[in-house]
Amino acid sequence: MSFAHLGTLAFGPRMRIERYRLDNGLMLLVQPDRSAPVASFQTWFRVGSRHERPGKTGIAHLFEHLMFGATKTRPHGELDRVLEEAGVDNNAATYLDWTFYVDSLPSEALELVATLESDRMENLLLEEGPLEREREVVLNERRETVDDDVDGAISEALSLRAFERHGYRHPTIGFADDIAGLTLADCQAFYANHYAPNNATIVIAGDVDPDAAARLVARRYGHMAPGQPPPEDDRREPEPQAERRERLEMPTDSAQLVVGYRAPAMAAADHPAVVVLSEILFGGRGSRMHRRLVEELELASEVDAYAGFFRDPCLWEMQAVAREEVDLEALAAAFDAVVAEVRRAPVSAAELERACARIELSTLQGIVGVTGRAEQIGFCETVVGDPAVFFERLDRYRALSPPDLLEAAERYLAPERRTVLEILPGEEDLDAEDEEDDA
Amino acid sequence: MTVLFEPGRELPLVRFGVSFRVGRVDEPAGRDGLARLTARMLRRGSRTRDAEAVENTLDRLGAELSARVGIGATTIRCETLSRSLDEAVALVAELLAEPRHAVDELGRLQRQTVAEIVRDRDDDAGLASRALRRHLFADHPHGQRVAGTRAGVGAIERDEVAAFHRAGYVRADAIVAIAGDLSDEAAAQVAERLIAGLPEGAPHPYAIGEPTAPTGRRLVVVDKADRAQTQLAVGTLGTHPKDADHVALTVANCAFGGTFSSTLMQAIRVDRGWSYGASSSLTTARIRELFAMWTAPAAEDAAACLALELELLARLAEDLDDRAVSFAKNHIRAAWPFEIDTPEKRLAQRLDRVLLDLPDDYHANYLDRVAAVTLADARAAVRARIDPARLWIAAVGDESLRASLEVAVPDLVETIVLPYDAD
Repeated sequence: MSFAHLGTLAFGPRMRIERYRLDNGLMLLVQPDRSAPVASFQTWFRVGSRHERPGKTGIAHLFEHLMFGATKTRPHGELDRVLEEAGVDNNAATYLDWTFYVDSLPSEALELVATLESDRMENLLLEEGPLEREREVVLNERRETVDDDVDGAISEALSLRAFERHGYRHPTIGFADDIAGLTLADCQAFYANHYAPNNATIVIAGDVDPDAAARLVARRYGHMAPGQPPPEDDRREPEPQAERRERLEMPTDSAQLVVGYRAPAMAAADHPAVVVLSEILFGGRGSRMHRRLVEELELASEVDAYAGFFRDPCLWEMQAVAREEVDLEALAAAFDAVVAEVRRAPVSAAELERACARIELSTLQGIVGVTGRAEQIGFCETVVGDPAVFFERLDRYRALSPPDLLEAAERYLAPERRTVLEILPGEEDLDAEDEEDDA
Repeated sequence: MTVLFEPGRELPLVRFGVSFRVGRVDEPAGRDGLARLTARMLRRGSRTRDAEAVENTLDRLGAELSARVGIGATTIRCETLSRSLDEAVALVAELLAEPRHAVDELGRLQRQTVAEIVRDRDDDAGLASRALRRHLFADHPHGQRVAGTRAGVGAIERDEVAAFHRAGYVRADAIVAIAGDLSDEAAAQVAERLIAGLPEGAPHPYAIGEPTAPTGRRLVVVDKADRAQTQLAVGTLGTHPKDADHVALTVANCAFGGTFSSTLMQAIRVDRGWSYGASSSLTTARIRELFAMWTAPAAEDAAACLALELELLARLAEDLDDRAVSFAKNHIRAAWPFEIDTPEKRLAQRLDRVLLDLPDDYHANYLDRVAAVTLADARAAVRARIDPARLWIAAVGDESLRASLEVAVPDLVETIVLPYDAD
């Protein structure tokens, strides 16, 4: 099995990425950094919870757990034991658009990691016993991150109300009833459909020689046959036509206003403007929302937002946590006033400059260690096909003008594009009904 | 003044900070949270800038300012794009030396801090951790919450903040730590500029005594209704890093609850599926600090899970074998490069040595000491330090859990039930 070196890409001001592809379609990205004897080996699969169907939610995440089980040649538990004894920290994560497996390793363990990772990509043993045990673990994870976590519960409630059809509607961890109903056959089909070399990218950042790493990957993965991942999701979400608003009670002492605006996909031309707008509104203590809601009016204890970096149009999520005794309607009015201002008049050049500097800093902070760096590369490659897009984005942010942001604000902060949840302290009054809806 | 510098030219970033040996322990009675409030007041205005101007300057520079306040130390840290280093240093030097301490900003910060304390009630794991510390360390400073209490924070006056700053933020006690994209010479200049405006003062004496281990097994239930699962924290005192058996106990802890392959995770998650996470930890400080087990089982499994944890802890010394000790030692050795792979991590080790008063060669010799640990050493450390009959157990859940948890704990001598919204 041979591989092709497809080229060298600049990665920030002082680094580079080497891109390779094996004949079976497996992509390899290597970011060499010999400054410390460590590396990160990550396997990114282009499958996430958006590929799941109603009634089968949670399978991408549950399957991620099963990938730590036995293979045809290694008993259950050996993967973790062998890697940990070699000083490798291994983990995995699943989200809407992707699943990835990460090994942070002393560079002397590279061959071992490639051997074990390639083994589980093709030789995983799926059995009833481990499936039942991991099902229980995942249900406990759901209790911890949704049932007993008010922010997790709110996030789930928001997506359910903001989307009608798209796979972004349901939570990545899945609904409890769906998790309970997933079968071994479901898992076997999921493995066969999605865990093929041509649906994956391997990223290695750190103390490696790129060509030697490519030869190693070709040796371990080159014999695998390409698969036929199922066609992309066809559940297109209709454009929102009217604001959706709901008041919910949850077990918390802090009332909250949570707003999700339908935002452009990460690859869309308007996405950089939305990212910068989000920074101007919510980025740090100097942002408009923080100044107004937290400092000047003292209505909120905290404000936050995430502009959303997703393959398809998703949510620009915003949150304002009310202080004790604060009327949620007053908080909502103040929130709306800040949004209205940014839709009415251009932001200042100084605000734009500050937002760009903050984004530049956070971009660099994200790649300080090999693990974060490989994660950024794998994420960008998997979602938009460009591993260095965050650095290219810095130039695009700086090229934006106040009128560009005004145009983006008018379009993407329109009331009809948003779903609003008013969260009040009390008994929880969702989930059961929501899950029945979706089952 | 102590200056620590770790160069790293891979990225155009610089991190610099100043630490002082002053913290929660130095607060007067009834002024809980003063140390943290003092640190957070720095960014709320200085001689030439009001709070908004400080924030706008930081953002324009591409710089972040943070304050880390502990029981006995405070660190003010800034990370900046390296092209903005000069201005960032000037700003932070002014904030350190000439904070404005405006009364209106102090009031705003006090109300903000109280709101954060309320918000923290949503975090069940945090509730368990705080309940464990508060009871295990009792009246000792390490049992107190650095954020303070609603009453304590609300009672603090402007002059108290100014006095705390004046006494604690002094040159003689300053430790300047710098990492990143600059030369040795530039780092020396940065260090001098950062503390140039501070009064000389005197080194702060370390005045925290050793805590007392609990007597018997005791349970605190943090009463919070409608919990699907129970956050469980089980703890006792661990070791001081200077203790001869500290490294042996670290190896034992790694085998018991430090990795996915460790005893706790295998017994609780892998074999039974009871909890997403199951781990143990050994905290280091200048005193004998915390050894604890952490799990979060479903409420209906909480009693069985707790009983199993206690059983595993009681058997820890005898269950250790050569294979487990060898595994833990290999893991610590092989993973060591990740302790020092970035300038920031290398700097953190050096700062730890200063703040914890450890020998200069503490980290340089660390792996040799790990390699020297034998099975007998690990067992002896567990037997000497971890007494399974002297524990505090913190559980967050409905008060009705109390009866089943009490059954799960043989020889329980006390149960306390606290409302989750007690400060």
